[in-house]
Formats: sequence, structure tokens, C-alpha cells
Amino acid sequence: MKKLTILGVALALGSLGCDSSSGGAGSQAVTIQFAAKVSTDDFVCGDTYDNLGANDTSMQVSDFRFYVHDLELKNADGDYVAVAIDTEDTVWQLENVVLLDFEDGCTDLGNEPMNTVVTGTVPEGTYDGLRFKMGVPFEINHENPATAPPPMNLTSMQWNWQGGYKFLRIDSGTFSMTDWRMHLGSTGCDGDPVSGGTTACGSPNRVDVDLAAFDPAADTVVADFAALVDGSDLDVNQPETPVGCMAGPMDGDCGPLFENLGLAFGESPAVTQSFFSIE
Amino acid sequence: MKPPIHILSLLLLVAGCGDSDAASVPQEWVWDLPDTVPEPRVPEDNPMTVAKVELGRFLFYDTQLSANETQSCGSCHLQELAFTDGLAQAEGSTGQIHPRSSMSIANSGYAASLTWANAAVVRLENQALVPMFGEDPVELGMANMEDELLRRMRDDENYPAMFAAAFPDKMEPVNLDSITKAIAAFQRQVTSFGSKVDRWQQGDRTALTESEQRGMALFFGGTNAAGVEDAFECFHCHGGFLFSQSSDDAGQVFDQKFFMNNGLYNLDSDGSYPALNEGLFETTGELVDKGRFKPPSLRNIAVTEPYMHDGSIKTLEEVLDHYARGGRLIESGPNAGDGKDNPNPNKSALLNGFVMTEQEKQDLLAFLGALTDETLLDNPAYSDPFAK
Repeated sequence: MKKLTILGVALALGSLGCDSSSGGAGSQAVTIQFAAKVSTDDFVCGDTYDNLGANDTSMQVSDFRFYVHDLELKNADGDYVAVAIDTEDTVWQLENVVLLDFEDGCTDLGNEPMNTVVTGTVPEGTYDGLRFKMGVPFEINHENPATAPPPMNLTSMQWNWQGGYKFLRIDSGTFSMTDWRMHLGSTGCDGDPVSGGTTACGSPNRVDVDLAAFDPAADTVVADFAALVDGSDLDVNQPETPVGCMAGPMDGDCGPLFENLGLAFGESPAVTQSFFSIE
Repeated sequence: MKPPIHILSLLLLVAGCGDSDAASVPQEWVWDLPDTVPEPRVPEDNPMTVAKVELGRFLFYDTQLSANETQSCGSCHLQELAFTDGLAQAEGSTGQIHPRSSMSIANSGYAASLTWANAAVVRLENQALVPMFGEDPVELGMANMEDELLRRMRDDENYPAMFAAAFPDKMEPVNLDSITKAIAAFQRQVTSFGSKVDRWQQGDRTALTESEQRGMALFFGGTNAAGVEDAFECFHCHGGFLFSQSSDDAGQVFDQKFFMNNGLYNLDSDGSYPALNEGLFETTGELVDKGRFKPPSLRNIAVTEPYMHDGSIKTLEEVLDHYARGGRLIESGPNAGDGKDNPNPNKSALLNGFVMTEQEKQDLLAFLGALTDETLLDNPAYSDPFAK
């Protein structure tokens, strides 16, 4: 409930900022709307969706969360400028990272509050283009999660075996080993026992998103589960791998999902992502 | 203005200490280690104290740390088995079988990396989060239950005072960071250097039998009966004070973690291991990392059967036979393959096989048995405070 209240305040502040240009000399408030969809349907926690993947599989979807960072809008000169993220009175935004959360606690691993927006400020002007990264920046990803402030303090979003976070979490079912799940984070990370920190990750797995012709006043960024699983054999699982994809390099089921996220996987090179689009 | 205030508060602090009873003064931690062993590395943000270690001992053995309150850390790390569980593969609180065999926590404060094959986890504080909150596999099953966990701690009749004593500088000492720090502090002081081999290394020439001494010589590069120098090559991976080269300590300036393929499996031309147990490859995706695991410490090895990351070798004698052959042959079934044969692209170059007489085998087994620290197995300081 506390989180909900704070979210309400943040939303109100965000919309106020949009209507006026009172964000300070030379700057303006901006709210970037996000939506989670499954093809043309809005994602509703716990609903079942049809015609998914390569074999028109039906699947119930019960979690849908991801982190974004380094949001930039394209100004009238064609230059990208950073969105300065609001960090006051919000549990969803920290430094340059934002958790977008479309589940409402329909399973035990979720919670009731949701967040569908990024709020911040940009220099005064007009904008028509957005780019950002899905994931958590390296500097925040490998900090001690036990002392992290919101939104980095949710254990269901932590990815402790690699010393980081789940950048994307989409689950089906009610959390059993036979339910399809997609958890994406950095893998191949290397720790230094002397310093205690993480030095680098072989597969950072941050998703580059570039949405040209995005109008922040009118458009919404859509994360489409149907697009994520396009071409994936959802009704088949590579034996002795997690059902779905936990970003394991040995799990062939990750192949189509990584391709749709634009990420390199095995022999397949990085391409342009198709999970996010404009509406 | 600031310095006087600072000094004043210090004076108040000192005065406070003098006025209160001795129990409220944090006791300085003293390591009880032989001269032959360095102190473990202690992170600057988690200094050792008696109160913190005691809190950690309670938390380590408390089933409130699992979602369904059936398991504690100690459920898979039993003191009488040198903090392993005797199972080939561990079983979590929901019944899920872990791909791996439980590792000993004794001397885990010296591990350059934690668990069997994970280069990313290098601090006990961070490692504690994996069994608590991990979802694949489920161990303690606490994912998304951090608030419930803290509620259990705050509602407990003993914990609030114990957390306050362990973290006296914290306004709200009951928090997740305190839990991982206390468990880490407890584990860091579960040291084990009281074996017969330790007494020998400290100069007691009566500590080892003739057979154990012969085994020790063979272990550390001695020439075998067949006339081969360093025939057994044991110490290249299992050397040093930890009997694992993958070690760290307070004075260490180099990253010494490392991972080796010891020829247990060879499923295909990539030298693959069975799914879910492919070693370092599972995180790096590099083919050369297939089957690479951390050489575990051999301290207390005689009481921690079965062996290997998946518990697939039952006895120490069979382990020696495996190394004598230079890789394991599995003739049929899903894991069929010869870990010895070329091409096995990832097998360690140290695994060449060797000729071993029955006497040599018995001597090596005797030496490995002399690495058992009997005091570890019943030291009250490491024991379960909830035991009835």
C-alpha cells in the first residue's frame, strides 16, 4: 500500500509536469508511457493468451517486469539527449534505472503495486525519437543487493548466482518447475576474491532499443510478449534445461527469445530487437 | 565547529561504555589459528565480532530461513559430516533435487570462489543470498518473502536483542544485510586446521603413521613404485594450506580462483558434461569451460562422501581409481563416453593416469584420512543451538 501511495504521487507529479513547463529554467518534464501487451491484448496478470510462438501455444502469463536505463530522446536537431530520471518520491526509479512492473501480485512471487511510466526532465524542446537499454547498468547491477534501495531490493528480481539482477522476468503459471519462465540477466560474470567485486560479464545481455519517430506526448512503448516468443517452440523444451529460458548459454530454448531481444546467442550474432515497439 | 562535536560524542561513547556492564561492549574477535595458516580475508564492511558470529550460528541453523520452515542452512551442511550431507545431490526445502552435491562450509572463508563452478560469487555475504532466494533450483525458497523473513526475525523472542548486539550501530538492526553478514561471519570462523597432518606440519613427528607419511610423500610429488616422479600430481590442484589451490586469505593479493576438468564425462566432441552440471560453461558459454569445476579442499575429505560435483563417485578408493585411469569410462546409458580418451578437449593436462600399487593406494587413503579434523565434527562453537 505504501508503494501504491507513493506511485500515485509520482504519477500526479508526472502529469502535472507534462501540462506545464514549470520544471525549471530551460527544462521540461517528460513522462514516457510503457505498456505490456500480448499481441493486440493488454497484459493482465494471470490471463491466458492463445496463438503464441511457432506452434500457436496457449499460455497463462503471471509475471511481467523489466528494468530500463539510459533513456534518451531525440531533439529537433537530431541529437539524443539524456532523460534525467526523477528520483524524489518514487520507489520505481533510482539514479538512471527504472523498474517497469505490469504484474499485480496474481502469484506469490509478485506484488500489488505496478509501474508503467518513466518520469524525468529534458531540456526544453520538441522530441521525436527514443532510445534506451533494457537491463540494469553494470555499476548498479553488481552492488550488494542486501542493502539496495527500491527498486533494486526485490528478491524476486535478484539474480544472485551471477551477482546481479534479472533484467527481464516473464513467468507463466504459479511458479513450479514445469511452468515456462523467461529470466534474463548478465551471465559469464567474473568476481575478484581480493576486491570482492565483479570485474566483468562475458554476456552482459543488455538490450539496445531504438524507437525512431517516438513522440513522448502521444506514443507508448509497447513490450509485446507475443513478439518476444515469436518463432519459439513454446510447447517443447530442450530436455534437462529449465522450462523456458534462464539465459543459460546451453539452453537452446533461449535462441529465438534472444534473437527477438536482439542479443547474440551461441553462433547467432546480435540483431535489431523486436520485443519493443511504438503504439 | 565539527571537530569539537565529534570529540564530544566520542567522549560520551567512552563514558557510556564505562558505565554499562561489560556485556554491552563488543568483544574483540581473536582468530584461533595455528601459525601454519593465514587469517581469512574479512570484508571491511563486515568485521568479526563475537555477537555477530553467535547470531550467525543461530541463523545458520534456523528453519525460519526457509519459506515452509522445514530447512535451515544446516539441513544440507551437517556438522558431523564436516558440514556436508552425505547425499549425492542436495535436496531443497520443496523437495527439488539440486544438480550439485552439498559442499563443506568448513574453511569456506578461504575459498577464492564459492560453490562448485561459479566465478561470480566471491563473498560469503553474497553467496548466502543464493540458497535463500534462488528460484532454480529452489533451496530455502524465500524469493519475494524478504518482508516475511524480517517479520519472523522481529517477532522472535531472541533475535531482536541478538541483532542489536551484533549490529550496535544500526538504528534498525534486523534487516537482510544483517542476516547475510551474520551468516557469513559465522561461516568465516568455521575453520578446520586440527588434523593429524596439521600437527605433523607444526612439527609433531609422531602425528602421522608410516603409511600416512608415505601417502603424504606420494601426494606431494613423490616417485611411485613404477619409478615415475610426481606420478600422482595431486598437489597441483589440491596443494596449499587449504589443500585446494583455489584459495584466498587476508594477505593474498592475487585472484587465485580456478577451475579444472577432471575427465568425469566426455559426451561428445566438445567434451560435454551431462545437462545442468556442465561446470563453468553454464555461466560463460565458452566451450573450453565445459566440465570445469573448482578443485575442492581435501580437508575432512574422508567424511564427506560421496564425491565430485554430482556425487557420482561413492568412495575415496574409487576416486583414486578414477585418477589412476586418467578419466572415467561410462560404457552405456545417456552419459556414455570416455573421459580419458582423446579427443577430450577440456581435460586437464595433469590427468595423465598412473600406475598405483595396492600399497600406494592404501598409503594415499591413509594420508587423506589424516586430513580429518575430528574437533570440527563436534566443536560446540559450530553446533546447532536448536538441537534437542
